[in-house]
Amino acid sequence: MEKKIVVGKTMKKKFMIALLTGFLAFGGLIAGFGFTGTAFALPLGGIGDFYVEFDELNGTDFQLLPHVGETGTSDAEPMVRNKMDKVVITNLHIYKDLELPGIGWVRFHVRSTGPTNITGLIHDARLIEADLSFDNLEIEEKNTTEFSQNWSQNASTINIKDAKIVTDYLFQTVVSLDGAKISAERIEGPDMTTFPGSGK
Amino acid sequence: MNRKERKILKREQKQEKKFEKVVEGSKFKQWRSRRPFWGATLTVLAGLMILYIPLHLYAIAFIPGSLVFVGFIFGGLVLIIGICEYLYPQLSTFFGIATIFLSVLSIMGALGGFLIGTLLGIVAGALNIAWDKEEIDLDTWERNKEQEKLGEINEAV
Repeated sequence: MEKKIVVGKTMKKKFMIALLTGFLAFGGLIAGFGFTGTAFALPLGGIGDFYVEFDELNGTDFQLLPHVGETGTSDAEPMVRNKMDKVVITNLHIYKDLELPGIGWVRFHVRSTGPTNITGLIHDARLIEADLSFDNLEIEEKNTTEFSQNWSQNASTINIKDAKIVTDYLFQTVVSLDGAKISAERIEGPDMTTFPGSGK
Repeated sequence: MNRKERKILKREQKQEKKFEKVVEGSKFKQWRSRRPFWGATLTVLAGLMILYIPLHLYAIAFIPGSLVFVGFIFGGLVLIIGICEYLYPQLSTFFGIATIFLSVLSIMGALGGFLIGTLLGIVAGALNIAWDKEEIDLDTWERNKEQEKLGEINEAV
């Protein structure tokens, strides 16, 4: 009986063509996002507190719920969960402080000079400092032991001005950042804004 | 002997060495050479990386309109393709193309496993597309080797 052995090999030319095609497709997709300033389903969470500042926010179908969530330093921290259907923000500024080994504290900024349009926003915050106004505000309680459904605050529209929000989790189904700028700078120490009197 | 001939000879010698390693190698080495092993392994790793983000966001994966669910599908498919590459090496080209396609698309809903998953997926897909097999008849190969050895001994004498 003839015994045959199969030996595999990688064709260099084919490999390079496939690799190049893959990276071109990848670059094309990234460039597509870059040109339209759109990223799909951007989740930010589990990296500790980050800070969101903006001049004005207009949102629809606002809902505020009690929430217990994970932060960069704790498994369970009390926070509030904000949900909005359609959001337009002007002068959005998100920043995060990180201690990098050998460099020290670095602050990463994401700024959007044009209007930021978000659909399907879920946002967990530990502190909100802002001027708020609502339309059709409703505060509702339910007789349930499930804490997240025990009470909720709903409004058909919300307007927030001059906000600073300590955020631990952010999810956006579709986000479009007009005139986005991403930068990093060295800082002396991190922003320590937290709940007054929480001792953290 | 001109440069072109030298190049061909060098390539043949390299291939001969590779055959020798596989023929005399362990059973695992022979099993490995029958399939796009490194391509498949990297595909499995890429699938796990892509699944990392949706797994951490499982709480919101089933919210209507959430793209995290899509991330689950992309990551899961890349993982399944990686496993299938071990089992069906004859379909390596098709699996390679699918791996690259899904890895690039996984930026939506899974951020491409912090982009590492996407990059791994592209390299893995390219390795799978470029993989090819060569069959050697063991008896003929051994006969040729013996004749080569005899020729060398004759020359020395």
